[in-house]
Amino acid sequence: MPKNRHSTRTAVVGVGTTRYGRLPEYDAYDLGVWALREALGDCGLSFDDIDGLILNRIPDYQRFAEIIGLNPRFTTTTPGHGRFSGNCIEMAVAALSAGLASTVALVYGNNGRSAGDEYGGATDIYGSGGPGLWFPWGMTSPGAFHALMARRHMHLYGTRQEHLGLVASTFRRHAALNPNAVMREPFTIEEYHRSRYICEPLHLLDYCLINDGGVALILTTAERARDLPRGPVYIRGFGQASAFAGSAFPPDDFWFEPMQHVARATYERAGLAQRDMDALMIYDNFTPTVLFALEGFGFCPVGESGPWIAEGRLALDGEFPANTSGGHLSESYMQGWALNAEAVRQVRGECGARQVAGARNVQYVCASPIVTSIIYSSEDS
Amino acid sequence: MTAAYTKPLPRLDGPNRPFWGGARAAKLMLQRCLDCGTYRFPAARYCASCRGERAQWVATSGRGTIQSFCIFHKAYFQGFEAEMPYSVVQIRLEEGVQLFSNLVGTPNDALRIGAAVAACFETATPEITLIKFKLADRAEGNP
Repeated sequence: MPKNRHSTRTAVVGVGTTRYGRLPEYDAYDLGVWALREALGDCGLSFDDIDGLILNRIPDYQRFAEIIGLNPRFTTTTPGHGRFSGNCIEMAVAALSAGLASTVALVYGNNGRSAGDEYGGATDIYGSGGPGLWFPWGMTSPGAFHALMARRHMHLYGTRQEHLGLVASTFRRHAALNPNAVMREPFTIEEYHRSRYICEPLHLLDYCLINDGGVALILTTAERARDLPRGPVYIRGFGQASAFAGSAFPPDDFWFEPMQHVARATYERAGLAQRDMDALMIYDNFTPTVLFALEGFGFCPVGESGPWIAEGRLALDGEFPANTSGGHLSESYMQGWALNAEAVRQVRGECGARQVAGARNVQYVCASPIVTSIIYSSEDS
Repeated sequence: MTAAYTKPLPRLDGPNRPFWGGARAAKLMLQRCLDCGTYRFPAARYCASCRGERAQWVATSGRGTIQSFCIFHKAYFQGFEAEMPYSVVQIRLEEGVQLFSNLVGTPNDALRIGAAVAACFETATPEITLIKFKLADRAEGNP
């Protein structure tokens, strides 16, 4: 058995999402419960079937479980950083594989828009990190970190502003087909170029959308999943690596090395390759991250992501339809969670006007100091 | 007397105190591991390369290269509004340490990745001097 094979197969059986946008009457707990109720309804399970609970961004695990009157035998919570969505899903797989739980609820609640959360500036607790060491020089936002990476990618490889604009406009066209997307009005490349800069070379349209919302997933073993009325979506491949050393500064390799490790582990576990993917869900906090992920996961050669996407490959009718929901850039910044929900729904064929015909394998990829990837599949091997 | 200075200021009482003291004396001070020689900033008790605990603050060359730059069109602090749009440069020093800083005397449209730079010292308040950079004079033979 290859080293990256694991014996316990797992599956997503329930998916729940709230509306996204400005929902001031809900706090993060409420949004999490709303999403969890949707997910349980989706798979026909009840609260009492949950024996594992993994929370993300919801402030307090004890309060959350108290609100829903739940006593799981496995509980954990993780910080409200988007890179933790893939991490949490892999933790659920590990908990199921180890027998720590048999039905795991993953719950994400984010009231960042109504709470006035900032990614940048003195009150930023999620994005800038640290004690504001670089504020005296005006280095004050996570967007600037990605602007620095984009500028260097342009310098090294000739990547152009319009390549970033194509990522944003492609995902917006997808969002136009998603009734739950927050921003659904398509824009042209000319309109992209005319939009204001936030941190050059990034325009407003290169930034994700801060909103309120919640997402929940219900995972169980493949064996149990097959007994449920709705067909399981298998977690067929997964992998994780990190690049924390020196990570106060943009990585010289745009996270290429950890992504290569994750790509190998994920495809080996799945017994699949890039060409087998019917759609991609690419972590898109900012547009340049999409380019780095495509290179790191081997969809295109290093440095060629710009021209590669300019051939329309990420569009719904392209070779690798990506972020069919509109992603963080146009649906809502649900920190990877909604992208994973969309992946499951694509494999189920539930995506209506934005459905990728015959989607069987959909891959989530996240380029960040924690790299993760998950392959969702209609077949378990 | 510092009423005119409205940008964020550093704390001077923490472990980076020697860095700020050095800046006031026109020196770029970094921590250097006494076990493996690796430089580091910000201050840390342990070396990220060898995990050694012995270190000292030393004056460094102040020479480096622009790794990248970006231009802020949004001010997250009021103090930057007068300079909009302003640039931030990512510098890699000869000693391997990276810093975010500003380039003095170079317009935004003349910023270039790969350019050699040298530290310069800009008084912010009587207590605080910021280390910034200027394009290095080629005659100085900076590689």
